[in-house]
Amino acid sequence: MVAGMSGNATLSDPHPASDSLYHETRSAMGTDVEVYLYAPSATRAAVLMEAVFAEIERVEAALSTYRAHSELSRINRSAGATSVTTDPETFGLLRRALAFSAASGGAFDITVGPLVRAWGFSRGEGRLPTPEELAEARSATGWRHVLLDDVHRAVRFGIPGLQLDLGGVGKGWALDSAAGVLRDHGVTTALIGAGRSSYYALGAPPRTEGWLVAVPDPTKPGQVLSTVRLRDGSLSTSGNSEKYFDLGGRRYSHIIDPRTGEPSEGTLQVTVTAASATVSDALSTTLFVLGPAEAAELIGRTHGAAALLVADGRGNHQIIPIHWTATVNAPGG
Amino acid sequence: MRRREFVSRSAAVASTSLFGFEALADTLARQVTSPSDQINVGVIGPGSRGKFMMRQFLRVPGVRIAALCDVYEPRFEEGRAITGEDTPAFRDHRRMLDSGLDLDAVIVASPLSLHAEHAVAALERGLHVYGEKAMAYTVEGCDAIAEAVRTSGRRFQTGFQYRYAPWCQQAVRRIREGEIGRVTHVYGYWHRNYNWRRAVPDPSLERLINWRLYREFSGGLLAELGSHQVDIANWIFGEMPESVIGTGDVTFYPDGRETYDNIQAVFKYPSGGTHVFSSIIGNHKVGYQVNVYGTGGTIELTLESGAFFYEPARADSAVPEEMVESGVNTSATLSVRGDMPYRGRGRPIEVTPEEAGDPNLIASASFIDALRSDQRPFADEQVGWESAVTVALGNRAIRGERHVEFSDHLRPGE
Repeated sequence: MVAGMSGNATLSDPHPASDSLYHETRSAMGTDVEVYLYAPSATRAAVLMEAVFAEIERVEAALSTYRAHSELSRINRSAGATSVTTDPETFGLLRRALAFSAASGGAFDITVGPLVRAWGFSRGEGRLPTPEELAEARSATGWRHVLLDDVHRAVRFGIPGLQLDLGGVGKGWALDSAAGVLRDHGVTTALIGAGRSSYYALGAPPRTEGWLVAVPDPTKPGQVLSTVRLRDGSLSTSGNSEKYFDLGGRRYSHIIDPRTGEPSEGTLQVTVTAASATVSDALSTTLFVLGPAEAAELIGRTHGAAALLVADGRGNHQIIPIHWTATVNAPGG
Repeated sequence: MRRREFVSRSAAVASTSLFGFEALADTLARQVTSPSDQINVGVIGPGSRGKFMMRQFLRVPGVRIAALCDVYEPRFEEGRAITGEDTPAFRDHRRMLDSGLDLDAVIVASPLSLHAEHAVAALERGLHVYGEKAMAYTVEGCDAIAEAVRTSGRRFQTGFQYRYAPWCQQAVRRIREGEIGRVTHVYGYWHRNYNWRRAVPDPSLERLINWRLYREFSGGLLAELGSHQVDIANWIFGEMPESVIGTGDVTFYPDGRETYDNIQAVFKYPSGGTHVFSSIIGNHKVGYQVNVYGTGGTIELTLESGAFFYEPARADSAVPEEMVESGVNTSATLSVRGDMPYRGRGRPIEVTPEEAGDPNLIASASFIDALRSDQRPFADEQVGWESAVTVALGNRAIRGERHVEFSDHLRPGE
């Protein structure tokens, strides 16, 4: 999605002429994480890469539900039976995730896992669950049942079967944390991406106004819908172009609406820019579920955020920019 | 928590178990609600490892990180970002220990050469110590900590978290039960492909930030990585080595560092066991492994799992005698199968959900449980002393003596 590094020579250059751009991609968080950064030497770049990937590994080791030893797995194992004290970072992230849930009327929900599994999207390409399966999954879902005790920094589940999954916000949190590490090391210009769906930009490449990030047109493979110059901010995209199934003339998206327990409909793709990747990551999934009208209202309440929605309007696609200032190319048919 | 109250209350708490994972379940299940039950912990050296351990301790109910100490002041804010509060911070460990902050325990995560000074200072002031590995840089440093533990009556836990890893505990138990026969060899590896350097904001901070690369502070790869394998080998053999041969070199990164970027050491044990250890940081292929070889099988331990492999059955039972009538067929083919490495998965060590967990957290929770229940930690000062002395003498061999007899450096009875 990174379109290129060239740009207009409108800004002063914070880099010595000797700084070069370095790039590395490693597997992390179930996807490819890529880092672009400017450094004075390959040795310095290698040390910085090591530091940034170590931070991403640290966050993944704490938050991944695929790792039995992660802090989140420990909470999932025990919080149904007892109150689980956790560290301030994990507790703070859970608190923020629940705040997203409250702000979105439940469109964002870290307990949605059982519904995702019922619809077969956790491993496969999806299937229609039986009413009984759906009812059972619904009964083990609901962000309001995650009980946080601020005094003891403890988590407890109010109903049996509840399981937390920070998939909707964890990648963004990891990117923000990694950017913080680079900042602590004095790096002023870098771009960090996870799975091409979320990017965080630190500063801007020399003589440019920002890192170029292209938003794809979901209706025309290979074509660009809009190009953003990202600087000290993040961009996240959610879409159903890769994971869905068709049945009886309906397209079932892998993004489940936690409020109904059904796959969300009517949205093809959502891209969000925001000050932090945690917010853009959470918002992109949330707006996908909310749809255009409620999305505009939520973006309006989120300082510094903007969105570009592509809605499926029964045969013709609608492009809906919300506070989106970058040029939008002609909509696909 | 006030120290006097702490001791009296501790005595009333029934002990749970020597073993970490059981202590963890108990500690984590016990909801501590009274502020007077809070255990205040100070941290000497909130660098990368120190910060990691702070997060672990903050997951244990009733623990508060109440003070930070580092000579590098940017660590103050980094540490406060983890505690989530305006934690008091000090440049001098004595000031922290004498600050009247009502500390109960200290995590010592400073550079290795400072462990003894920091741990002894804390113990002498009546504080319990969680001491990062290795316990100390020199035999004298290890002696000083052990002596301070004895005279203070406080608890010391050494930072060998794999002593608390359920798969390691199970492996050692099954070795003791004879499942892989007589264990004769441990082959330990910690190989990485990474220059072991940390980013330094200013060249004047090189030795401070990259202390692992300088002999003034660091025992190099044997101390910072290999001490885990050294400790597991000591644990398995149930004793300390009697001699070591070693070598090492700067092969990959000739950048002014003083500690080797690859080392090899062979430890011989009094009962006949051998531990072969290798650490190379220019090739990642084998990663971290501890392979335990017995006459009846092998155990492969990693950082998060373990597996058993069994040797083929030998001619230890009678077979039908039909072949005497049918004979055997000749062939020109030489079978190499018996000498090819085994590439299967083995039989994984099963860990129950109740036991499962990050060994770092289990070790932290077990330390707190040991304080609350007034019990000796499983990885106590004796464990720490034996493994740190093994490392110290191993480094003598690696750094030039080549062959070191332990009896030449230890007092009789040690």
